Amino acid sequence: MADMKTRTPSGLVHPVGGAIAAGASINARGLTKVFGSGENAFHALGPIDLDIKPGEFVSIIGPSGCGKSTTMLLVTGLEPSSAGTVEIDGKLLTAPISEIGIVFQDHLLLDFRTAIKNVMLQQEMRGLDKAALRERADALFERLGLAGAENRYPWQLSGGMRQRVSIARALVHDPSMLLMDEPFGALDAITRTQIRHDLEMLWLETRKTVLFITHSIEEAVGLSDRVLVMSKSPGTIVEEIVIDLPRPRPAHLGEYPEFSKYAERIYRIFEKLGVYKF
Amino acid sequence: MAAFGGSYLSSVLIGTVAVLLLLGLWEAALHFFEVPVWLAPKPSDFLARLYTDRALIAGHAFWTSLTIVQGFTLGVLVAVPLALAIVSIGALERGLYPVIVFLNIMPKTVIGPILIIWFGIGPLVAALIVFLMSFFPVLVDSMSGFRLIDRRLFYISRSMGASSWQTFWKVRLPAALPHIFSGMKIGVVKAVEGVIIAEFIASNKGLGFMILRASAFMDMTLMFSGLVAAAIVALMFNGAMSIISQWLMPWSRH
Repeated sequence: MADMKTRTPSGLVHPVGGAIAAGASINARGLTKVFGSGENAFHALGPIDLDIKPGEFVSIIGPSGCGKSTTMLLVTGLEPSSAGTVEIDGKLLTAPISEIGIVFQDHLLLDFRTAIKNVMLQQEMRGLDKAALRERADALFERLGLAGAENRYPWQLSGGMRQRVSIARALVHDPSMLLMDEPFGALDAITRTQIRHDLEMLWLETRKTVLFITHSIEEAVGLSDRVLVMSKSPGTIVEEIVIDLPRPRPAHLGEYPEFSKYAERIYRIFEKLGVYKF
Repeated sequence: MAAFGGSYLSSVLIGTVAVLLLLGLWEAALHFFEVPVWLAPKPSDFLARLYTDRALIAGHAFWTSLTIVQGFTLGVLVAVPLALAIVSIGALERGLYPVIVFLNIMPKTVIGPILIIWFGIGPLVAALIVFLMSFFPVLVDSMSGFRLIDRRLFYISRSMGASSWQTFWKVRLPAALPHIFSGMKIGVVKAVEGVIIAEFIASNKGLGFMILRASAFMDMTLMFSGLVAAAIVALMFNGAMSIISQWLMPWSRH
């Protein structure tokens, strides 16, 4: 196992731009979530420690109900933790932070707003400069293959496009952190592979810190610098795997023999945790 | 024929032909069996009366419409904020909502005589009865509208640094609007139904009052003219609701 944990070497391929870190660092200590109290208390998560470097792409993978999504919400302060501390860029988190973008499994677009107006909600809520944000939104639409879909309502878009709009909404205000909770979980396999690649390219350009929650070993290995494997009830991080594969990664990850090794490694951990019963 | 406007036009055409056919049949049957006008008027009788007595009928139709607008507007203005309060505050949901449900089960018209003692016979009492009848469907659908919102939208809204006021105006209210409107559509139907009965028992103006008085004078033709006028008022209000909802919610056409 130790041989898998080697640090990402300089051989990493970054075709677009330099690796200037635009992301925030996340440091969590003893993060715990208990729902309810007394007899009915349910210890859902932790204690867990997290250390995510600026601009790093980190996935959390684990079985359903292990507290992956809760971790994401605690790290941003959107849900209060029962115990533990979070530091964002070295500053102690006391209230929900808004220098973030979130994408959930369901697109969660407002069906009464067109695609572009859904994205521009960021500008309206934050009171940012309209022209500047519109320019960024247009660039993101272009970049995500959404050009021409600006004035369509969510119900007029395909599932993949809706999720792309959702990603644009999470990035238009140039946040330092992108949080994604199974963002491709509801998409078909072909769309998923394409959007995975598009996200990777976007990340390589912008270098946000990404916390990516997933069920999918392929997505975790295909996207991440580092994969954290979680166990269930209470959710704890049982293993950390550094993914040392060149970027951008191909559609067919099987091209790398290392991919199968990483994948097998995660399967083995899942087996040990009793996630699979064959 | 173009498929776009064609289907709409042809359905209007078919409807018109059907109504004309029915009226023609009615006219012919009454004519053939020589039914006296005090027993059942022919369409030619009451449609002509609709024209000759147009000032009287329009005057009462105006009062009926005003009563609907007053009662229904009050219903919406009370129901929507109350729905939000009930959904947001657990104590209200457990304490107040059962009381409202109980009050709704009670037939609204029994309150009429009480309201007459309090406010005297007149359109105000009719408007209050219309309010009571249209209020509940708006409340129930608004509640489900406010409740059905995906909680994760609040995470997204909060991640944008939105205040709760912004979240309400930009996310919660528009998301609930289709539900509020479907409640309002039912509420309007209840209101136009209720207004005539309310005017029977508690008003000295309006189509309901006019029909009741015509009944006292055995003026069958005017009663039928009033019926047609009431139907026109109902159609107008339902149409207005559709137009307003299309205008306010251009996205909800799917």
